[in-house]
Amino acid sequence: MKEVNDETCECLATYHGKKSFIGRTIEEIFKFIEAAFIAESYSRRKGLLQSLDPRVKLISIMTIIFATVLVTNLKILTSVYVFLVLIAYISKIEVSYFIKRVWLFIPIFSAIIALPMIFNIFFPGDPLIQLIYLGPGAHLGPFSLPESVYITKQGVYAASIFIMRVATCVSAIVLLFLTTPQQMLFKAIRSVGVPRIYVLTLGMAYRYIFLLIDLVREMYIAKKARTIRSRNMFEEQKWVGGRIGYTLIRSLDMSEKVHMAMLSRGFTGDVKTMEEFKMRKRDYITGAASIALSIVLVATSQNIFR
Amino acid sequence: MHIPDGYLGPSTFIAFWIIMIPIWLYAGKKMGTLGSKRAPLLALASAFAFVIMMFNLPVPGGSSGHAVGGAIIAVVIGPWAAVIAISIALALQALLFGDGGVTAYAANCFSMAVIMPFIGYYTYKFISGNTDIKSSRRVIAIAIGAWLSLTVAATFIGFILGLQPILYRGANGLPLYMPYPLSVTVPAMFLEHAFVFSILEALVSALIFVYIQRTDPSIFYAEKAAPQEVSKKKSTRDLAIGILLLIILTPLGLLAAGTAYGEWAPEELKARVGYMPPGLEKLSDLWHAPISDYGFSNLPPIMGYILAAAIGVILCVGILYFMGKKIAKD
Repeated sequence: MKEVNDETCECLATYHGKKSFIGRTIEEIFKFIEAAFIAESYSRRKGLLQSLDPRVKLISIMTIIFATVLVTNLKILTSVYVFLVLIAYISKIEVSYFIKRVWLFIPIFSAIIALPMIFNIFFPGDPLIQLIYLGPGAHLGPFSLPESVYITKQGVYAASIFIMRVATCVSAIVLLFLTTPQQMLFKAIRSVGVPRIYVLTLGMAYRYIFLLIDLVREMYIAKKARTIRSRNMFEEQKWVGGRIGYTLIRSLDMSEKVHMAMLSRGFTGDVKTMEEFKMRKRDYITGAASIALSIVLVATSQNIFR
Repeated sequence: MHIPDGYLGPSTFIAFWIIMIPIWLYAGKKMGTLGSKRAPLLALASAFAFVIMMFNLPVPGGSSGHAVGGAIIAVVIGPWAAVIAISIALALQALLFGDGGVTAYAANCFSMAVIMPFIGYYTYKFISGNTDIKSSRRVIAIAIGAWLSLTVAATFIGFILGLQPILYRGANGLPLYMPYPLSVTVPAMFLEHAFVFSILEALVSALIFVYIQRTDPSIFYAEKAAPQEVSKKKSTRDLAIGILLLIILTPLGLLAAGTAYGEWAPEELKARVGYMPPGLEKLSDLWHAPISDYGFSNLPPIMGYILAAAIGVILCVGILYFMGKKIAKD
C-alpha cells in the first residue's frame, strides 16, 4: 500500500434504507480497517518524522504532550499547534487530512462541552457580544438569570484554551501514530522501560484485533444477507449478545491454539525482540530540540520567565 | 468515558500514574503464575475488549449503542487478567486512534481497567454465591455487576472531572481544564450512565453470559480457578507488599510537587485539606465552601497540584485497600 485509497471497500459498506445497527457496525468496521491502512501507508512515506528513531520520536512527542497540557496561554498553544501542522507537512502528510483527522471527533466534542463557558450565565465576565436583554429579576424556573445574556471575553478565551489544548495533544499523538509503523512503535515503547509482557501483549493484541474484526464483519454480513425483515428489538439484541459471547469463546479458543503454536516453535515464556534501533546525529538533535521546547513551554506556563 | 488529554490537570494525572504503576506491576506478577500461556491469552482477551466496542446493539428509537464489557471480561478471565487486558486495549485506543489521552491514560485505566472489572467481578461473585453455574441467579448477578461497575466507573470519572475547576484556575478566575464543578459532572455522569449506558451494559453482559452458559460454561474464570487456589497467607503478603509500595510511592509524588514549587508549608496544606467535608453526600459543599470562605479561586494552580495528589492518593489507597482485602479473603 503506497498510496492512500480513500474508497477502501466503500461498496460493501453501503446499505439500503435507514441505518440499522447492522449497517452501522459494518460501516464502523470498515472505517477502522481503512484508518489502519491509511496510517500504515503514511508511515512508509519518506518524510521528516518517518526518518527519525522511533524511541526519540516517542519520547519527544510525549514530552511535548506533557508540556502542552501545562500551557495556559492561547498564543503559545496556537503556535504549538501550528508547529505540529508544519511538522505534519514536512512529514509528507496531507495537511487537510491531518486537520480533518484530528478535529473530526475529540476537539469538536470538547467544543460542545466548553460552549456554556462562554456565556455569562455560567461564568461572569466582561461582555463581548450581547445576545438578549432580559431585564432585572429574570429567572428560568428556580434559576435566577442575569440582567442580560452575553458572551464574555474571558469565557471565550478560557474555552479556546481548553479546545486548543485538547486539539494540540490529539494532533501530537496522531502525528506519532501516522509516522511510525506499529511494530516500531511497540518496540519503542519496550525500549523506554515498559515490561516485556505488556509490549508483547500489545503487539499481539493489535494483530489479533484485525482477525477478530474480520470475524465480526463476517457475522454481520451473513446476518445482513439473511435478513429480509428484521425481528423485534429484543430478538436482535439477543443475537448481538450471542455473537459477542461467541467471539469471546472463539478468542479464548484461539488463544489456546496460538499458545500451542508458539510452544511448538520454541516459546518458553521469555520474549526476545530484535533491537535494531540506531541513533544518528539527527535523532540526538531532534530529541534535544523537543525536550528544550518542552522545557521552555513548561517554564513559560509556570511564569518562570516571560 | 475516555478522558482525552487536556481535561485533567497535571497533578491529577500524575497521581493516577503513581497509583496505576504498582497495580500494573502487581497484575503482571499475578499473571506470572499462568506461565508462558499468559501472553496469547491476554492478547486475545484485550483484542476482544477492543472489538467488543464495535458491536452495536439496537436500542429503542432506532438508535444503537455499544458496551464496554469490563465486568464480563473479568468474570471470564479473572479480574487481574482483565486489568491487563483492558489496559492494553485502552493503550491501543489511545496510541492508534487518539481515543483517550496519553497523559490521562492512567486515569482512564483506573476507571475502566481497575474499577470496572473488580466491581463487576466481586458483585457477580457475591450475588451468585454457591449457585449452579447454569442458574439464572448468576445471570442476574452479572447484570447487576455490569450495571454497577459501569455506573461506579462513570461516576468516578465525573468526580475526577469535577475536581478540576477547584484545582486549576487561570488568572481571570476561569477554569483551565475541565470547566464544570462536581455539582454538574457527578450527576451528569451518574444519571447518563445509570439510566442509559449501564442498562445497556447490563443487558449485553447478561446476554453474553447466557450464551456462554449454554455453550461452554467451563471457560468462566471462577470455574477453573477454584482447585488451584493460592494460599491465603501468600496472597495477603503480596497484597501487603503492593500497598507498602504504594505508600512509599505516594509521598514521592507529593515530594516532587512540593520541591518544585515549595511555596506551601505542610501545615497550610493540612489546614486546607482538613476543610474538605467528608462523605459523598456533601459533594456540593466541596465545591461551594472552599471558594466562598477561603478564597480558593485566588490560589494559584500550584496549590491544586498538592491537593489533587493528596485527594487522589487517599481515595485510591482506600479503594485499593478495600479491593485487596476482598481478594485476600477469597
